[in-house]
Amino acid sequence: MEKRLKIVGFLCNWCSYAGADLAGVSRFQYPADIRVIRVPCSGRVNPLLVLKCFQEGADGVLVSGCHPGDCHYQEGNYYTRRRMMMLKNLLDFFGIDKRRFHISWVSASEGKKWADIVIKVVEDVGAALEEITKQ
Amino acid sequence: MIGKIKKTAKQILGDGTVSLFLGYGKNSLGDTVPVFIKQEKDVEKLVWDESCYYNLTRYFTDKDINQFEEGPIGVLVKGCDQKSLKVLLSEKQVKRDRIRIVGLVCSGMKNEKGDFFTKCETCDSNNPDGELCDVVIGQKVERKNREDDFSDIEKIEALDPAQRQELWSRYFDRCLRCYACRNICPLCYCNECIVEQNDPGWVRPSASKENNLYFHIIRAYHLTGRCTGCGECERACPVGIPLRKINRRMIRAVRDSFDFIAGRDAETKSPLACFRQDDREDFIK
Repeated sequence: MEKRLKIVGFLCNWCSYAGADLAGVSRFQYPADIRVIRVPCSGRVNPLLVLKCFQEGADGVLVSGCHPGDCHYQEGNYYTRRRMMMLKNLLDFFGIDKRRFHISWVSASEGKKWADIVIKVVEDVGAALEEITKQ
Repeated sequence: MIGKIKKTAKQILGDGTVSLFLGYGKNSLGDTVPVFIKQEKDVEKLVWDESCYYNLTRYFTDKDINQFEEGPIGVLVKGCDQKSLKVLLSEKQVKRDRIRIVGLVCSGMKNEKGDFFTKCETCDSNNPDGELCDVVIGQKVERKNREDDFSDIEKIEALDPAQRQELWSRYFDRCLRCYACRNICPLCYCNECIVEQNDPGWVRPSASKENNLYFHIIRAYHLTGRCTGCGECERACPVGIPLRKINRRMIRAVRDSFDFIAGRDAETKSPLACFRQDDREDFIK
């Protein structure tokens, strides 16, 4: 059997989590390499949490929230956007492959998009890890 | 110039405007160190030369000084220190009426070998901002310094991720986790630093390559959008890790993404504490 990756997904309760739920209800197929952690808002995702995941051996991290303007708390995801932009920048500079860290907006009605994103993330993380093991 | 500094210090200590004056002095080995002057007669200890590189704004957030010093504090600031001061003011860590700012015109500081610090070679603030200072001492200098083109950082960026990781792990392997970089930083003022928290333990305290990498990522991230590039961390580092490169990389990222330069004024919020609806989004799926 193919080796499973360990990807941590931080999903906001109001959009992405419901979107992932819809993907399940609609029986869209996607790889089971992702572990979902439900958070009240993507703005709750402290960048330290992302770093902790990498430190404890996660292969990849995905932070997913509502589309801009749709945040249940009005503006949480705007802060997320800035924070994660800088974090991605910084991780890249230290040589942590940027393909291992992803951010996405998935609404409650985008079950298909969620499945597609997970497929893409798993592909990307897999490719990044393959490069590391080769060297 | 030193005469004027002494005169100003004597005057504000004498008339009770300030109860403490922060300046530069010499220790018994002849090295320049920060001095804390409480009495008029001690102003003779003040010095001003090309080794006064300390960023004295660091002491505004010092717990002991804040606890035991009631009266306003007088301080010598160079143009670069003033940027840190502006960030502290914008973050409400220091009250403007608690300090008397004596701005110094500076034409660059030199290290023990007699070379200019790299930050001085690309300095854009030889003359302090007269609006913020109570007094400015020194003749205005017209210096055309080299502009910081971030070419050393571009060189690192040109490597592929694995090479970059290798490069940094070579540096971080040396890190002793002495936290000198944190202690000297004027903007690292948390009462309890996350490296000392153990529940949750964000980063393990032992000095291993892996732990050090995450410590330095966290340190750099906490300074993103706040660091003014004063370079004290790099100078204080006993094992010579080029910390300023990391900070400058983030200074550039913040400048490019949010059009923000920390220390430009004392009002604007740090870019990670606010947002714009039309922020860049090309990295999001």
